[in-house]
Amino acid sequence: MAEKHNHHDSDDHGEHPQEHHIVGLPIYGAVFGVLFFGTIITYYVALLDLDNALFPGANTLVALLIAFAKMACVVLFFMHVYWSSKLIWLTAIAGFFWLAIMFAFTMQDYLTRVPAGVY
Amino acid sequence: MAHDTHEYHPPGLQHQFEDMGQQQESASIGMWMFLVQEIMFFGGLFTVYLVFRSRYPMAFAAGSNHLDALWGGLNTLVLIVSSLTMALAVRSAQLSNRVLTVVLIVVTMVFGATFLGVKAIEYTDKYNHGLIPVDGLNKKIPVEGGHTEHASLTVPLETKVSAAEETKSQEQAEHLPNPKGNFQIQPDDLKLVVMARDGKFLTEAEKIGYFSNGEIDGAKFRDKVRIFFWIYFVMTGLHALHMIVGLGLMAWLAWKAWIGTYSSEYYSPVEMSGLYWHFVDIVWIFLFPLLYLLGRHFIAHGGGH
Repeated sequence: MAEKHNHHDSDDHGEHPQEHHIVGLPIYGAVFGVLFFGTIITYYVALLDLDNALFPGANTLVALLIAFAKMACVVLFFMHVYWSSKLIWLTAIAGFFWLAIMFAFTMQDYLTRVPAGVY
Repeated sequence: MAHDTHEYHPPGLQHQFEDMGQQQESASIGMWMFLVQEIMFFGGLFTVYLVFRSRYPMAFAAGSNHLDALWGGLNTLVLIVSSLTMALAVRSAQLSNRVLTVVLIVVTMVFGATFLGVKAIEYTDKYNHGLIPVDGLNKKIPVEGGHTEHASLTVPLETKVSAAEETKSQEQAEHLPNPKGNFQIQPDDLKLVVMARDGKFLTEAEKIGYFSNGEIDGAKFRDKVRIFFWIYFVMTGLHALHMIVGLGLMAWLAWKAWIGTYSSEYYSPVEMSGLYWHFVDIVWIFLFPLLYLLGRHFIAHGGGH
């Protein structure tokens, strides 16, 4: 396959959107800010009794929402998925989709055993 | 490789690729395929966490409260900073800034090593307090003087815990004798179960899993907390192993960057190592709240739902 290629012009790079994409410093700064304050907030929110104030499981829900927001920031901007091709998007989403299937199928079994929650 | 007028051949281009863009895309997809496998690999462990926490939330709350959330939070910030410096290292490689690339990779390594150092402090603390889930592997704390009242505390949860033991102060509980180095919890931990029973929010599994003949059974509860610590050590241990692999990758990267391998035309190894490092950061972003924080409000407020 090592044939001669005569089209290595600099114009040729346009078809690969992620190549040479250099992310500006303000974006990195903003993402870092979200991650930093997300960590501080998740720590202090964990000390509040949201289960009692709102509804059972509220503490878990808030902690996971913050974690998902932080993950989205890292994946999209630090890992450059936001500027990547559709194939990379698909690969990343497929990973989490399969993870969701594993969680859902496992728990629909364990949570529906009788008596509830026991083997 | 010379400046042929007919063909410009970038120095980092492997012969099987059409151009740098295609090579870059191939590397990215390969790395992402690997990361998807890593997601499933850690995902299995997160599933274990999900199953057991949904069954024994009080035992997991007791386990969480034996972890130091300040160390865990500090480590989260350390990893976030290292992710930022890694992202900036990729950026400086893209800009062909050789010295800055090397400096940022080394800074990332320093933060990674700091994370592992804090982890070592935490593991040592677990060892000193009888929280390694394998009997015999904890620090052996001999019984002082051999008095019978102390001896009764040696394996405090083999028997039903009396009201007197439940009210022991934290200071005394910190120095529970542990002559055999067994996994052990503190009498205080049973307060969570009492609280949950009084609030009537024990799960069905907990009503069976913590009690014998209608009485709280310390040994049974302890073994549910033991499950938490197995999950804690396996998940954080595997995460730490990934960190160590990452540090090895970066040592190699720093050397290659120093000898001028990377430039705006060829920086794939820096970017791919960056993807790996960010992935490890994401795993910790979930481990921190799940292991250290959930259940903490039970203690912070001393009340249940």
